[in-house]
Formats: sequence, structure tokens, C-alpha cells
Amino acid sequence: MATGADIESWIAKLPLGDRKAFDALYNATSAKLFGVILRVLKDRAASEEVLQEVYVKIWRNAARYKANGLSPMSWLITIARNAALDRLRKRKSAAAEASETLEDTLADPAPGPEALAIAAAGREALVACFGELEEDRGAAVRGAYLDGLSYAELAERHDVPLNTMRTWLRRSLIKLRECLTR
Amino acid sequence: MSGTGPNEDDMIRAGEYALGLLPDDEAEAFLRDMRADAELHAAYLAWVEEFAGLAEEVRPERPPERVKKKIQAELFGAPERRRLFGFGWWSGGLVAALMLVALLFGRDFIGPDVPEPALVAEIAAEDRGLVINASYAENGALRLERSAGAAREGRALELWFIEGDNAPVSLGVLPETREAELTVPEELRPRMGGAVLAVSDEPPGGSPTGAPTGDVLAVGEVSDA
Repeated sequence: MATGADIESWIAKLPLGDRKAFDALYNATSAKLFGVILRVLKDRAASEEVLQEVYVKIWRNAARYKANGLSPMSWLITIARNAALDRLRKRKSAAAEASETLEDTLADPAPGPEALAIAAAGREALVACFGELEEDRGAAVRGAYLDGLSYAELAERHDVPLNTMRTWLRRSLIKLRECLTR
Repeated sequence: MSGTGPNEDDMIRAGEYALGLLPDDEAEAFLRDMRADAELHAAYLAWVEEFAGLAEEVRPERPPERVKKKIQAELFGAPERRRLFGFGWWSGGLVAALMLVALLFGRDFIGPDVPEPALVAEIAAEDRGLVINASYAENGALRLERSAGAAREGRALELWFIEGDNAPVSLGVLPETREAELTVPEELRPRMGGAVLAVSDEPPGGSPTGAPTGDVLAVGEVSDA
């Protein structure tokens, strides 16, 4: 099992054209990223294509990884999840292009990147804080992140009006942030 | 987010944006705001980092071997394509910079005592926070002039020679002076043209492992003077 430090050192070597590091990174992380993409797309052929796009992006953007302050696995997972979401939204509606820009926002920080110490809570805190949400509210946030569901789809899945769903979600975010900041 | 973080509405919008839930128009507005607001960007990144933790409950699934083959073919397939792709993030600006460097060297650097550089490179960070101009003469002398940036506090800059897929070879740790001259090992000299020079952040005295260990701070392609 590769550690975060291993993954970080492999990413650091990619801008030098280090194919061995790329190979090691792929071997250690592709199953997780493929799982994340499959969970969103639920279609193996499309997921394979997206996985390919994702590793090409990782290779090309590795030099910019350090600028965003994310942990290496979070960076990789976010690229994979956003790429899957892009594919999903394009499949559903050609108009939904906004998430295209998500990659840019990871790679291209606003002014003053040094000031961007990310105040993110750890994994255990996350689990504990999701545990404090009512079950269906937590499931809605998970559905948005892991399955890539929109507000309309979440509303349908939970059988509530769209506005109610948005209120649920926004309240859940407030609760999560309060809990994660504790 | 503690203390002076963004207001509650911004914090919520950052979360919705990270989840991909904002309608297109609101997402665009958020993106514009975030580009101008480092705190908002930090709020977004905090959500990104936290939500990525949810992926722990996703079962890993080994992709078929063909995917890796396709990726390798796309990235490393044909030699010209590989270089274009591998270094795509800096190559555009580099070409222009190299032309400028070539011009400068052509005008100012050729004195009677200095061997005419055969090859040059501008080793530059993407944000140009570190820029080192290199000129190489056939006798193996590599002259370096650092025009922007420096080693981080308590750290050193180490120069690497990279050729194709081979592991980087150290050309040495750069001194603190702005100008320096290193000697390229004889076996590397025939391969200088077309090589890539890179500078990494290393502990004082250079990488303890013989391979880069710290961040790659600047990269430049060697080309004809």
C-alpha cells in the first residue's frame, strides 16, 4: 500500500518526464480512481475513457499540483471525480459546462497562494460529522459527491420538492462546516 | 475555516460548487468571485479536500490492462508527440523565451574571451518566480545566470540534465551567486542538444538520493543558440 508521501514524491517527479514514477503512481492509484469514476458513470466503457483522460491530465498538470495545497490523494480523486462529472453532465445536457472549469480552479489558485493554508478537517472528523447529520440528509450530500447527482435528481431520489432539497443540502453544509471546524 | 473565514453564504456556495450542484449561471458567478478572492478559494479547497474523503467508501476496481496501454500510447507513443504532451504546460512560452534569449546572447554575451555558446536554455518557473539562463559551449562549460528567484531559506537549488525517458542526472548544486559555471560531464556533452534542464528544491548540499527529491521549480529545453 502506497503512502501519501510515496504518491506525493511520484507526482513531484512527473514534470521531469519520469515514466517510472508515472507507472508507480498509476499502479498504486488507478483502481481507486476507476472505482470513483465508475460510481458516477455506472458504465464501464465510458469509465475507461475517462480514466485515460484523467491520467493524461495528471501527467500534464503535475507541475501545478503543489500550488493548491491539497493532499495528493484528494487531488487525484478530485480530478477523477470532476472528469466523470463532466462526462455525465455532457451526456445529460450539453449546456452544463460549468464543471469544465473545476480543474482550472484546482490548478490555478487565486492571488496569494501562500496564504492558502487549507483548513480542512481529517477523514475521521468527516465520518463523525456525517454521523451527526440526519441519515437522509447525509445520503443526499453523498449522492451529490459520489454519484454526481444534481439537485433535481436528489429531489427525485428522496421524493421531496426541489427547493426543499436545496434547503436540506445547504443546511447540511452549514452543519458539516460547524462540526468540521470544532 | 476558523475566525475570519468567508461569510456563511460564501461557505455554502463553495460547498455547493465543490459538489457540482450550482446551476450554470451561479457556478460561473462563483468561479469569477473565487478567482478574485483567496479566502473563497481556500473555502472551496477545504470542501474539496474533505469531500474527497468520501471516496474512501468507494470500492476500488482494477481497470483493464488496455487502459494503461492506451494512456502510455497517448502520452509516450510517438517521440514528437511525447515531448509535446509531456511538457505541454510550458512549451508555448518557452519557444518565445528561447528566441528572446538567443537574441540577447547573440548581442551581448559574445566577447572575445567567452567561447561562443552553441546551445542555450531558459530554465524558468511557470510563474517566472525563478529564471535561470543557461548557455553551453562545446568545451563542456555551462554558464548560468540567475535573473529571478533564489533557493528557499535553508534549501539549495540543484540542476538536472534530463534526456528523453532517462532518469535525471545531476549537474550539480547551484552556488548562491547569481552567476555560475558548471562543467557538463563528458558523456553527457554529445546529448546536450534537445535535452531538458530542470532545477529542483533540495536540502543543502543537494539531493541525498541522486534523484530529485523536492519540488521541480523550473524547467527549460536546450536548443541551438
